[in-house]
Amino acid sequence: MNKKKLNINAALINKNRSYLFLILILICGLFVKNFYTPYNIQAVTGNGSLVIWLGLGFTIVLIAGHMDMTVMYLSTFSALVCLGMHANQKLPWMVCIIIGALIGILSGIIMGILVTKFKIHAFIASIGMQLVLKGVAYLYSNGAEISIGKDYTWNEALNGKLIPFIPLSTYFIITTIFIFIIMIVLRYTRLGRNIHMVGGNAETAWLAGIKSDFVVIMAFVISGLAAGLGGALNGIYSGAASVTMGEKGISPFYMAFTACVIGGTDIYGGKGSVIWTYVSLVAIAFLKSICKSTELQVLVIGAALVLCLVYETVAKYNRDKVVGRRPNLMLEYKKEAGIEK
Amino acid sequence: MSEVKKNENTTAPKVDTRKMEINKFSLLFNKMGIWIIVIALMILGMIVSKGQFFTSSNIQSILEAVALTGMVCSGLFYVTYSGNMTDMSVPITMAFGGVMAIQCINFGFIGAILAGVLTGVVIGLINGFMIGKMRANAIIWTLALNLLLSGVIRVVWQGKMLYAEKIADEAHQNSANLFYSISRTYIGGIISLMAIVMLVMFVISWLILTQTGFGQKLKIIGTNYEVARFSGIDCTKQIITAYVINGVCSSIAGIFYAALRKCASYENGTGYDFDALTAILLGGVALTGGKGSMVGTFGGVLAYGLLNNCLSWIGLGTYTKYLVQGIVFLFIVWMNTYSNRKLGKA
Repeated sequence: MNKKKLNINAALINKNRSYLFLILILICGLFVKNFYTPYNIQAVTGNGSLVIWLGLGFTIVLIAGHMDMTVMYLSTFSALVCLGMHANQKLPWMVCIIIGALIGILSGIIMGILVTKFKIHAFIASIGMQLVLKGVAYLYSNGAEISIGKDYTWNEALNGKLIPFIPLSTYFIITTIFIFIIMIVLRYTRLGRNIHMVGGNAETAWLAGIKSDFVVIMAFVISGLAAGLGGALNGIYSGAASVTMGEKGISPFYMAFTACVIGGTDIYGGKGSVIWTYVSLVAIAFLKSICKSTELQVLVIGAALVLCLVYETVAKYNRDKVVGRRPNLMLEYKKEAGIEK
Repeated sequence: MSEVKKNENTTAPKVDTRKMEINKFSLLFNKMGIWIIVIALMILGMIVSKGQFFTSSNIQSILEAVALTGMVCSGLFYVTYSGNMTDMSVPITMAFGGVMAIQCINFGFIGAILAGVLTGVVIGLINGFMIGKMRANAIIWTLALNLLLSGVIRVVWQGKMLYAEKIADEAHQNSANLFYSISRTYIGGIISLMAIVMLVMFVISWLILTQTGFGQKLKIIGTNYEVARFSGIDCTKQIITAYVINGVCSSIAGIFYAALRKCASYENGTGYDFDALTAILLGGVALTGGKGSMVGTFGGVLAYGLLNNCLSWIGLGTYTKYLVQGIVFLFIVWMNTYSNRKLGKA
C-alpha cells in the first residue's frame, strides 16, 4: 500500500533539472564528431574541474544565505603562489598545495569575519575582497605568467588516468572525491545541517541556539578551502598560471554561478545540494566541447541561466500571490459544496 | 498580598538603561562626511604633488576621469536608493549603448545617440519588470542579464570591435567624426564636454529626486517596501522608473565611452559597476536603501576621482592601486554600515 508512485509532474522535473540538463547535453553530443572518444572525455572533465571547485564553494556559501564572489581571484592567487613557491623557494609540491589551501582558508576567515562581525553585506564585502585579492595576485606575479618549470612529475600524475580503462584524469577523480566528502559533511553532520538552517532563517537558527556566526564563518572557510585547493591543483594540472586566467572568454565565476542556479540551489539560501551543482558543471564542461566558439558558449550558458531564473521568479511570484489566502480551505469548501470535483 | 508587597519592595528606580545619546562622530560622518574627505584629499593632493594639484591640466584630467563614473552614478543612485543594492548589468548597458550607437551611425548623429539611449531604456524596462513586478533578487537577476546580453552582443557581432568610420557610408562620414568628437570637445579650452554633461545629469537627477513625487515615494520604498505598498504607493511603477533612469544614464555613459575609445565591443564598461558603487557608497548612500542625497553622491564621485589622482601622484602602479582601492572600499562600506547601526537606522 505504501508503494511510492512515480508521479511525473513539474515538481519532479524541476527537482532533477540538473540531471536532465546533463542528459540533454549528452544526447546533443551524439551528433558531434569525436565527442564520445576517451581522449575527449578525459580532457573535457579535467579542464572543467577548476570550475567544479569554485562551484562547490559558491554553493555552500549560497546555502548559508550569502554570496561569495571572491572564488575566482582566490583560486588564481592560490595557483600563482603554489607554482611560485615551487619555482622560487624549491619547496616540494605537497607543501606548495598545502600553502595554497591555507591561503584559501585565510581568505575565507577574513570574509567570514567581514560578514558576521562587521555586518557588511556578503556580496559587497566579496566585491571589495575580490579587488584586494586581484591586487595581491598582480603584485605577487608582476602581471606575468608563472609556469611549472621542468618538474613534470605531478603534472603528469594529475593528467594521467588513475584507474586503467576509465577515461578520467586523476585531477577529476580527486575533485569528485572531495565533492562527495563535502556532500556527506553537508548532509550528515551537525555543521552541515546548521549551515542549511542558518541559510533558511538566520534569526530562527540563532534563537534555536545555533552559533550562527561560527557556522557562517565555517561556510566561508570551506568555500575558501575549495577555491584555494582547486586553484593550486589546477595550476599544476595546466602547467601555468596567470592573473588573467579567469578573464579570457567566459569567466569561471559565471559558470559556477550558472551551475548553482541550474542545479536548483535556492538563491535565498537554505536549500541546495553540492551534487546538483556538480552534475550541472559536468554538463557545462561537455557543453563547451559541443559548441566550440566562445561566443555561442556565453549565449547558451547565459540563456540557460536566465531561463532558470525566470522560472524560479515566476514560481515564487505565484506562490506569494496566494500567501494568506488559504487555497486548501477554498478547495475543501468547493468539495463540500460540490462545485467542482 | 505577599506578592504585591514583594514587588513594592523590589521596585527599582525607573531609569532607562538603554543608550540614548547618539555617537557624535557617527552623526558627523553621516551628515557631511564626504565633503570632509574631499577637502582632506585635496590637501593631501597638494602636499603629494608639490603644488601642481590645482593646475588647469590636472583639474581637467580629474574631471575627465570622473565624468563617466559620475554619469553612471547619477542613475545608479536611484537603484541603490530604492533598496535594490546595485545593478550589475551596468557594464553591459554601457557596452550595448555604445554598440547600438555606432551600429546606427547611418541614421545620422542624432539617430545614433537616440538608438544608444533607447537601448538603455529597453534594458531598464527589462530589469524593472523582473525586479519591480516579479520581485526577482536584484543582484542575481542583473548578474544573469549581464551574462546573457554579453552573449547576445558576442554572437551577433562575432566578438569584433565596431568602428564608426567603417560602418558609416560615404554620406555619413561627417556624423561619424562628430560622434568621435563628443568626448574630445573642450568648452572654453579647459572643461571637457563630458564633465558638463555629467554636471547637467546630476542637476536633473537632483531635481527629480527632490522636486517630484517620484523621489519622495522612492524614499519610502527604499526604507520599507511593505509599508510603502500598504500606504498605497504603486511600488512596481516607481521601481521600473528607477531602473529606466539608471539604464538611460548608463547608456549615455556608454556612448561617451565608445566615442572616447573610438570603438565599441562587448568589453566596454567593464569595472564601471564597481567604480560607481564605490562612489555612491562613499557619498553616504545606505546600501539598505532610503538614505542618501544627490549632493553626497556628487561628493562621492569627486572623492573617488581625487583618490585615484592622489594615488597616481604618489606613484603607485596599477597593481597596487587595485589593492588600495579594495581596502578603501571595504573600509568605506564598514564605516557606512557602522555609522548607520550606531544611529539606529539599519
